Amino acid sequence: MLNDIYLLKDLSILNAHLAQHYSVVRLAKDTDGEVTWTEQAGATSAPLFGHANLPLTSPKAFFFPEQESLYKFDGKTFETIHPKVKPIVLFGVQACDLTAIAYQDQFFKHDPYYQTRRDSVLLVGIDCEAPCKNGFCAEVNAGPHVNSATADLILSRLKIDDRTNTSEWLIVASSEKGVDSLRDLTLEKADEGHFKLRTKLGDQVRSQFADFSYISNAIEYLNDKSIPAQLWEELSVRCLSCSGCTNLCPTCSCYSTFEVIEAEPISNTLEFETVRCWDSCLFESFQREASDHNPSHKAAQRVERFWFHKFSDEYLPEFERHGCVGCGRCEQTCPGTIGVHSVMKRIDEVCCN
Amino acid sequence: MLQLTPQTIRIVDFYDDGTDSRHFTFEPIGFALESPIAIGQFFMLTVPSRGLAPFTYTSFPDEQGRFNALIRKVGKLTDQLFTCKKGDLLGYNGPYGNGWPLAEINQKEVLIVAGGCGLAPVTTAIDYLIDQGRANSVTLLYASRDQESQVLKQERERWQSKINVYETLDIQGDKDHSGLPTEHLSAVLNKVDHHPDILLTCGPEAMMSNVAKMCVDLGFKSTDIWMSIERRMRCGVGLCGHCYIGSTYACKQGPTYRYDEFLALEKANTVAHLYPQYFQYC
Ligand SMILES: Cc1cc2nc3c(=O)[nH]c(=O)nc-3n(C[C@H](O)[C@H](O)[C@H](O)COP(=O)(O)OP(=O)(O)OC[C@H]3O[C@@H](n4cnc5c(N)ncnc54)[C@H](O)[C@@H]3O)c2cc1C
Ligand code: SF4
Ligand code: FES
Repeated sequence: MLNDIYLLKDLSILNAHLAQHYSVVRLAKDTDGEVTWTEQAGATSAPLFGHANLPLTSPKAFFFPEQESLYKFDGKTFETIHPKVKPIVLFGVQACDLTAIAYQDQFFKHDPYYQTRRDSVLLVGIDCEAPCKNGFCAEVNAGPHVNSATADLILSRLKIDDRTNTSEWLIVASSEKGVDSLRDLTLEKADEGHFKLRTKLGDQVRSQFADFSYISNAIEYLNDKSIPAQLWEELSVRCLSCSGCTNLCPTCSCYSTFEVIEAEPISNTLEFETVRCWDSCLFESFQREASDHNPSHKAAQRVERFWFHKFSDEYLPEFERHGCVGCGRCEQTCPGTIGVHSVMKRIDEVCCN
Repeated sequence: MLQLTPQTIRIVDFYDDGTDSRHFTFEPIGFALESPIAIGQFFMLTVPSRGLAPFTYTSFPDEQGRFNALIRKVGKLTDQLFTCKKGDLLGYNGPYGNGWPLAEINQKEVLIVAGGCGLAPVTTAIDYLIDQGRANSVTLLYASRDQESQVLKQERERWQSKINVYETLDIQGDKDHSGLPTEHLSAVLNKVDHHPDILLTCGPEAMMSNVAKMCVDLGFKSTDIWMSIERRMRCGVGLCGHCYIGSTYACKQGPTYRYDEFLALEKANTVAHLYPQYFQYC
């Protein structure tokens, strides 16, 4: 790995280089101040940092869109609708979302639609320089610095010169795809000292996080099954089944399917298209069966399920980590109080007594 | 890579078989059915315009790949299916899931308790055991609401002379047959010569849960109790998330679960799963 580390002062050089082969998608602030993933061809400014400008939506939809057509039936045969893809570089993804993408890569390992989209994307990670408002990535081993197994290239700012308003960036090519993407770009080699500086800066950011031990405690209580059913009942009263958390959570992946019927004017026949769309395990009808039996008919069961799926050790053999990557979006979006901090704090309060 | 796109099958034939139920024969068009199909596995049936839903095979595919399924009309997809005619084309994905435990049932005396449409997933198990020359080792207790709603008439007639068949009707019949299957279970076990030591059960979850508890009390080991669990399914391949039971997906790690493992999965949650007072047969 140490062979593939470089130094660069002006990131727009890298941006322009990658733009030759990829559509560049970066964080951008719109006029309302909302931060979104936007295609920006000739950007020259430094990318926005996730720690200061966490986008409300993670890049999940690039690989698993909110709605996508799967196949169609023309009256005789079913035909796959292949996703239309073009090479994209996601330029400047923060550690938590990259960890979530790696998690979903595993979950969707055999899903042809996901994998087709995923193959066309180059991931350029960026090291966060401070904790973000609701984030606790350090507590769940998902940041603040990018884990090299989760990105193709990593950008890490080593120095800022306020006087000249310039920075020095360390660039790590952490996958074969990443190494390939830098071909024909002349870059100054970095050395071990630079890499060590990055580690030191990461430790500094880590030390700035607030005390989130209530989250680790709650994970423990959840796994030793000591959370009383009554607490889930109490918490679930505040779940409006709005699906805000499941939509924004970068590791949520449940879906449903629906059918679109279209008239085919030339042959005067009907065509049926099957579309999948994001669903939510917090909806009352999520598991309701035709017999009307509903294994998760109580809101308390569904809220418990959501957190079980994020923090149960039973998923470790498959994913080698918990499902939550500490982005804090569920806390930010929940109109009730069943976001991660509210729930974990309450569990810790109740269970530690 | 998984293939989510269905393959085309044609409705060869069907006949009415119990209240709102039909026994269908399907045939693959332009593809060979994957074989062998394990007993108790299921497939996803696509009815164009209505989406897809899981159903069990009630026969192994013949040389032309034709296979049967018993389907009850309960809602959106099945309503549309019941308007289909012979020759109409549908979609097929499968076979999916883990079926009944072959090694275990090959060696043991088998008790089968099925409720309503829950008879469908055990049909191939019964036929398999008969084919293996083990008909003497099979006892079936089949529970339905009333006579009209009993399904798989032809199969039950065929089995009658071969295996031990006991039928109960919730709201009809004489005192030896009327009432819930749990009221008759010990009487049935007292009547059979070979005492069963493995249970396969399929039907409403409340029924399976009560039958399993009873069998444990009657001396069955919980590792010898197997249930086929129904969950809502939107994909059949472990992606859509709907069919979760604890950390497993019923479409992948199930739908057949060993009782002790099922209980352990349910215990992962502290909020209890409550069954309706009265079982509702599908
Ligand atoms: C492994 C497996 C094997 C199976 N094998 C068989 C089999 O061999 N034979 C068989 O007949 N069945 C079988 N089933 C059950 C079968 O899959 C269902 O009967 C089928 O999915 C029903 O689909 P539907 O679209 O017709 O019903 P739906 O329209 O989905 O539901 C029917 C009823 O459910 C209720 N409902 C559902 N969703 C809602 C909602 N959002 N709001 C309000 N009410 C709602 C309503 O009461 C509705 O009338 C099996 C299931 C599984 C999991
Ligand atoms: S559970 Fe909440 S904090 Fe954890 S990854 Fe999902 S949205 Fe982020
Ligand atoms: S049916 Fe989709 S995960 Fe099981």
